[in-house]
Amino acid sequence: MPFFRSSDFSKHSQRMAVKGWFLSLSLVLATTLAHASDAAGRDWRTLAAQAKGQTVYFNAWAGSEAINAYIQWVAAAVQAQYGVTLKHVKIADIADVVNRVRAEKQAGRDRTSGTVDLMWINGENFAAMKRDGLLGEPFTQNLPNFKWVDTVNKPTTLIDFSVPTDGLEAPWGMAQLTFFSDSKRVPNPPIDLETFAAMAQQFPGRLTYPRPPDFHGTTFLKQVILATASDMAVFTKPATDADFQAATAPMWRYLDKLHPALWREGQQFPNTASAMTQMLADGELLVSLTFNPNEAANEIASKRLPESVQSWQFKAGTIGNTHFVAIPFNAPSRAGASVVANFLLSPEAQARKANIDVWGDPTVLAVSRLPTAQRALFQGGVKPGQLTQAAPVLPEPHASWVDKIEKEWIRRYAR
Amino acid sequence: MKGGAASVSMVMPMALTLAIGPVLLTALWLALSPLLANTPWVALWQDPRFADATLHTLWTGTAASLLAWVSAGYLLRSAFIRGQTGRWLNRLPLLLATPHAAMAIAIVLWVAPTGWLLRFTSPWLTGFDTPPFWRTTQDPLGLGLIAALWIKEVPFLCWVAATQLQREDVRRRWQAEFAVAQTMGLTPTAAFNAVVWPQLARVLRWPFIAVLAYGLTVVDLALIIGPTAPPTLAVLAWEWLRDADAVLQAQGVLAAWVLAGLTLLVGASSWRPIIRIAPFGVMGRAIGGGWRLLFMLYAAAWLALLVGGFLGVWPFPNVRPEQWHMGHWGRVWDSAESLWRTVALGLLAATLTVAWLVAWLEWVPHRWQQVMRPLLIAPMILPPLLWAFGLYRVALWGHFEGAWFGMVVAHAIMAMPFALLALESVYRASDPRLQAVTLTLGRHPLQYLLSVKWPLLKRALWSAWAIAFAVSVAQYLPTLYIGAGRFVTVTTEAVAQATAGQRGLMSAYAALQTILPLMAFAVAVMLGRPRRFMKGLP
Repeated sequence: MPFFRSSDFSKHSQRMAVKGWFLSLSLVLATTLAHASDAAGRDWRTLAAQAKGQTVYFNAWAGSEAINAYIQWVAAAVQAQYGVTLKHVKIADIADVVNRVRAEKQAGRDRTSGTVDLMWINGENFAAMKRDGLLGEPFTQNLPNFKWVDTVNKPTTLIDFSVPTDGLEAPWGMAQLTFFSDSKRVPNPPIDLETFAAMAQQFPGRLTYPRPPDFHGTTFLKQVILATASDMAVFTKPATDADFQAATAPMWRYLDKLHPALWREGQQFPNTASAMTQMLADGELLVSLTFNPNEAANEIASKRLPESVQSWQFKAGTIGNTHFVAIPFNAPSRAGASVVANFLLSPEAQARKANIDVWGDPTVLAVSRLPTAQRALFQGGVKPGQLTQAAPVLPEPHASWVDKIEKEWIRRYAR
Repeated sequence: MKGGAASVSMVMPMALTLAIGPVLLTALWLALSPLLANTPWVALWQDPRFADATLHTLWTGTAASLLAWVSAGYLLRSAFIRGQTGRWLNRLPLLLATPHAAMAIAIVLWVAPTGWLLRFTSPWLTGFDTPPFWRTTQDPLGLGLIAALWIKEVPFLCWVAATQLQREDVRRRWQAEFAVAQTMGLTPTAAFNAVVWPQLARVLRWPFIAVLAYGLTVVDLALIIGPTAPPTLAVLAWEWLRDADAVLQAQGVLAAWVLAGLTLLVGASSWRPIIRIAPFGVMGRAIGGGWRLLFMLYAAAWLALLVGGFLGVWPFPNVRPEQWHMGHWGRVWDSAESLWRTVALGLLAATLTVAWLVAWLEWVPHRWQQVMRPLLIAPMILPPLLWAFGLYRVALWGHFEGAWFGMVVAHAIMAMPFALLALESVYRASDPRLQAVTLTLGRHPLQYLLSVKWPLLKRALWSAWAIAFAVSVAQYLPTLYIGAGRFVTVTTEAVAQATAGQRGLMSAYAALQTILPLMAFAVAVMLGRPRRFMKGLP
């Protein structure tokens, strides 16, 4: 689980440079935020008073039943506790919302006349919004619950795909690329790219990955890049053409060899990871993947996967990141959105989210620092399908790599 | 006095025109404007997927439309020759009510390597213990997309033909001509092809262009069942339009206009030849066989959707799932809000459409109507992508995106051409002598409309209302754009779940997506029954 994962992160001496950079930046930011929070603490009551009666339109990916149900629970809770009405605007791809906010800005829809109050975001979409000034003022320093966030051991709560968050987005959950398969059919899951390729050769047509630019598909590509590249330092910087050529060449070689053994000979790819999970349940595929280490356990709990499914990661580590919520510059209910963001960070909400029967999304909080009563909320036994052996977290490449990777993949394989 | 009446009589047409004309024109203009600053012709041309995507689009769109054309002709002929037009055409709303997306989902449920067809035959017949490596979903040739379009468009063409065949005057004339041709020694098939078909085909020409335009430009259907490497041009344009990069967005707009151009080009070049394509085949013994097959295909689709909503873990090749699962419908129930929203939106949009259209047909001078007609038909001909994009810009400007007003107007605009097709010719054909009778009785013209003309046209009016409701329910792109994502409807849910591949939920939503228009058509049939009067003679 990536909850308590970042100590593993330091074991990777080859990534020391990255780590040092992350840590120094996160310390600076943490100190700044601590200072700010003294002043902001007084303002919190004012903010909460403003929020009362506001309606918050929360634009969030809605591709999972478990997540939608959790957001419904949040809506009921913030209504009861703060008098804030939360509406889940269900979307298929957050890039649509980035576009919508940009179109609103172009149409002169400034201050409080937008349609989005809060959005679920990270990575290249956050980078684009930050760059284009679509996010307004920093707000996380005003959130009382931000103090529980484990910014030291989970540096990605402050640095999103190598882009500093600068208080413009509040961490919500931790993610790490995780595979799962039925132990009855795959007793020994692959531990690295070589064994993965060998498995593809052994069971031709039974492995695949979602078609980039699908989020999970692109993550799989990034996983291959990190596992095949020799120099890690380039990934913390914006991608240049020369760096891209050099760093991705081994990946294309790997994929060229892998694809003929994939599902439909690598000529076609599933639309999404959840489509793969369905195909795994039907027996058409042997492996599916997710960004949530507890997803398989959650799917088993909701009877969509058999109990013999187990989760696993590559031994040397898999890509991990944090997902956030952000408030656009023209959010009509800014105060209400802050209250919701704060509630999402509360031990109560985080513990429920981490509960495998609910969603199973790992917390961003430092559970060990919480008061005893609240720490107890996070206790729970091991459920079938849950990841038992956690691998190290590999940091995401800089957000600018995503677009280049996707374009080149399409040029090579999707025509 | 006369001048006053004339100016009053001009107020209505002006108001009706101003209510819709500027919105449509502005939407088109705003959809065109991104290209003024930046026309990425070169980028579009050099895009590695553009050429293949365009070929895919042309192939799937034209193949499906032509298949639908000859099949509809065949079915109409078999019904006409046997005098069974009423029997089959009256049941068409059943088929018409099934949205395209629902049909695509059902086809996937049947033909996928883990679908019903293979489960019923495995392993005893096929020998498969694991799903075969067949590319039957999102196949590279687009055969699945063609099949979905074909099956869906046949009832539409037949339904437009029905608006003619259900007109007493037209049917009598055609039957007389058909009889004459037979007395000249022609076989029934040849007689139909020689005298009835050319007249019917002329009526079906616009609907054919609509079918063609739909096939070439549809996004949601192609997302569910269309090819992926590359996808059709419409899907590609949509991907680009959604990109965060402004240059790529302009490329998407350009691609959407290229689609519009392709539609006009293919439409214009088929305008003359299409009426010469007569339904092939000779009438065999199996009269009605084609109709039965069509209804059976739809029944199979509905069955797959209904059962699909209750499937739990369901490993191949089991025919029965390991667990039945009520949770999908439970989730649908949890988001009941989207259901009520879909219904309310459909009711408002359909009512607005029909009210506007009746006023338009009644009070706007004929010449004026002829001038405006292309604009009213345009939402059916130009790609939905362009409308969604343009109308969204209009809504942004007018601050009604994400609001009921904007949604209702947008849906009404998209439904208008279909309601127009259903209503236009019947409305114009109403007997003017009846008005003279009412006026000689000293009654107000409005009373003639309320108690004579509109009641007589009841059936066509309700039918137009039902089709407008069905079109509204099936709207995907306009709902997504103009709704600012806030208007979650049954259709946006169904498409989202279908592309996410969650079988249970997508089946449940697709079933719901079918049931709603079905209820509208049922209401239309009930309320559209003709009044009974005492006969003048015993």
